[in-house]
Amino acid sequence: MTRAIEFRDALREAMSDEMRRDKRVFLLGEEVAQYDGAYKVSRGMLEEFGPRRIVDTPISESGFSGMAIGAAMMGLRPIVEFMSWSFSLVAADPILNNAPKMLYMSGGQLGVPIVFRGNDGAGGQLGSTHSWCVESLYANVPGLKMIIPSTPHDAKGLLTAAIRDDNPVFCLESERMLSLTGDVPEASYEIPIGEAVIRRPGSDCTIVSFGRPVHFCLEAAEALVAEGIECEVIDGRSIKPLDINTIAESVRRTNYCVVVDQSWSFASVGSEVAAEVHRVCFDDLDNHVHRVHSDDVPAPYAHNLEQEMLPNARKICEAVRACTYNA
Amino acid sequence: MSIEITMPRLSDTMERGTIIKWHVAEGDEVTAGDVLADVETDKATMEMQSFDDGVVAGIKVPEGQAVDVGTVCAILSEDDDAAAGDQTQPTAAEPAQPAPAPETTPSHVEVIEAAAVRTSAGGSGRPDLRITPVARRLAEAHGVDPATLQGTGPSGRITKKDVLAAAETTQEVAAAVPPSAAPADAVPVESPALAPIEQPGVPSTPVSAGGQLALHDDDRREPVSGMRQTIARRLVQSKQEIPHYQVAMSFDMDALVELRSRLNSELAEYEVKLSMNDLIVRACALAMARNPLMNASWDTDAIVYHNRVHMGVAVALPEERGGGLVVPVIHDADRRSLRSISAQTRALAAKARDRGLSPEDMEGATFTVSNLGMFGVDDFTAIINPPNSAILAVGATLQKPVVRDGELAVGWVMKATLSNDHRVVDGATAARWLNTLKELIEHPSAILV
Repeated sequence: MTRAIEFRDALREAMSDEMRRDKRVFLLGEEVAQYDGAYKVSRGMLEEFGPRRIVDTPISESGFSGMAIGAAMMGLRPIVEFMSWSFSLVAADPILNNAPKMLYMSGGQLGVPIVFRGNDGAGGQLGSTHSWCVESLYANVPGLKMIIPSTPHDAKGLLTAAIRDDNPVFCLESERMLSLTGDVPEASYEIPIGEAVIRRPGSDCTIVSFGRPVHFCLEAAEALVAEGIECEVIDGRSIKPLDINTIAESVRRTNYCVVVDQSWSFASVGSEVAAEVHRVCFDDLDNHVHRVHSDDVPAPYAHNLEQEMLPNARKICEAVRACTYNA
Repeated sequence: MSIEITMPRLSDTMERGTIIKWHVAEGDEVTAGDVLADVETDKATMEMQSFDDGVVAGIKVPEGQAVDVGTVCAILSEDDDAAAGDQTQPTAAEPAQPAPAPETTPSHVEVIEAAAVRTSAGGSGRPDLRITPVARRLAEAHGVDPATLQGTGPSGRITKKDVLAAAETTQEVAAAVPPSAAPADAVPVESPALAPIEQPGVPSTPVSAGGQLALHDDDRREPVSGMRQTIARRLVQSKQEIPHYQVAMSFDMDALVELRSRLNSELAEYEVKLSMNDLIVRACALAMARNPLMNASWDTDAIVYHNRVHMGVAVALPEERGGGLVVPVIHDADRRSLRSISAQTRALAAKARDRGLSPEDMEGATFTVSNLGMFGVDDFTAIINPPNSAILAVGATLQKPVVRDGELAVGWVMKATLSNDHRVVDGATAARWLNTLKELIEHPSAILV
């Protein structure tokens, strides 16, 4: 039985289902309990699960992340909500230096089954320090998984898989997508981490993206139909592990690849995808992989400048034309 | 079957050509080798010869008219019956797509300069071939020879689209050919997709017609090494693409000879042993710093002026070990002392002979010095080492009669010849540079400090 619900509801369903299923799962973060979540993702959860499992924390990311990692090492399965991934930067030591390495450094004795989740990317005029895209920065670290759903359906399925995973999983959401509505099954289900999906089939150019920019890619693909260019849009869904097979299978058919990644270009998810495509599809390419990123500047506050700095449909169209020699 | 005779590209700079005079008229029978017309280019007047036998079915460009390279100038019909039809309607064999730019299509026309030298069209291989990986794969699958294509991508890169267009043309042409036609006749030479009529550089069997001597029993045919291939490719490219010209000058070497012998004797205990070449390399580097217009490269639509001076020094490798030539680079030679240049050159030459140079050792030269003086060569000219704009060919320093103050005397004289890329450096600039070099060599105090 499916029905249309918002992205934020899909996230809550995944968390609530897993908390009902597994007593070890609990949620902590700023304003997740009494305020129903800063973005109302955890609405009603305090009522159902009580204050021992839905825990309001002080404004201290380093402290509560570290505490949650300790809890995970001792056998619980915490979900840590960051109001924004921008605020997780102060918790870099626990989330990057401890959680992903613990299983390795303890010789396999202490795993960290934990989910970190929150809003990633520009929320809209939040200024540079609150508009971080952390995927490229964090995905560099071994020992963690990273998911970045772009639809309510994927949000529920991927977050469910993340909570059940025995490794630290970073779940990147977007404030701009929380109200996005889509069909989601009522029953619990998993979408395997590390599986991309083709959002739109096409034969002329493969566009690979992750998270919110997938929607800009679909917009660009529709616009390009008028120019006779049929793009195949791949939603990576997981950044780590990266599903290079689905991407490569597509690029072998189209011979062109454009990667759209909302982080900055240097040493990024986009550069990793490009490097992999060049490695795996070298003999199938008719041009080098073209990339669309956020411009290499801190996110501006002004609305028009912010829109121009982020990946958008116009930039994606330009990249596809250049890549397919239609410029 | 009809053949289009197009205006050939006869030089890198040629964009248009003028038919000065037609030597044939419509209806004339021609055989391969007949002169069809005189063509005036931006540089010279040349003869346009027919590459095929046939009947002139149409003349499309009147005498005196300038047309773009690739424009159809005449139609040749291979049999009389088709001639009438050809004048009024396109033949079935005509490609649906406009043929890609013509300079690399197998030429239907042989152009002979006064010296009867073949142009590069239809020649052996394409040293500048740029093709994407998938285009190369598709070309193989469709039996398209990439060397016959003109790429539409950046810098003439051949893309998937180019190969598929050519493959389509081939299919259409093949479909249009009556099955009864003998295979040899079925090769429509106007199709860019098909192999060139002849490829003199690719002798699968000993041939003589293509300019290749037949092999005799005691001849030896030895596959070339990678280095020899690189030398061949780069120098052919240089000679084909760069409009070379030479400027030569004689140098009074008395002061430099004296300086060198004094430095080497006074500094012998410091193991300083300067060669004549070290002094010349240093002088060239200083001359380059003083004439920055020379320190430049041609880049399609721009000239790049280099801020730093890196001197390439041509080094011959011993023949008993396969021979060859490498060009190690002395970076920032204008800022190095003589002693540093000398030591670095010696070290790189030794490395080149012993175990080979790394790519870094050979990267970035902005100018090259080639010195055959040690072999007793009086003077010679050198081919520019791309992307340089100039190379200095240095002869031996010899004792010769010279005139000083109206009197005959004996002096040390060296002759050096500068080859230049005329796209970048004009004659007056080259002459100024040589004068600076002369000043430095004949008054060598500046070389020391």
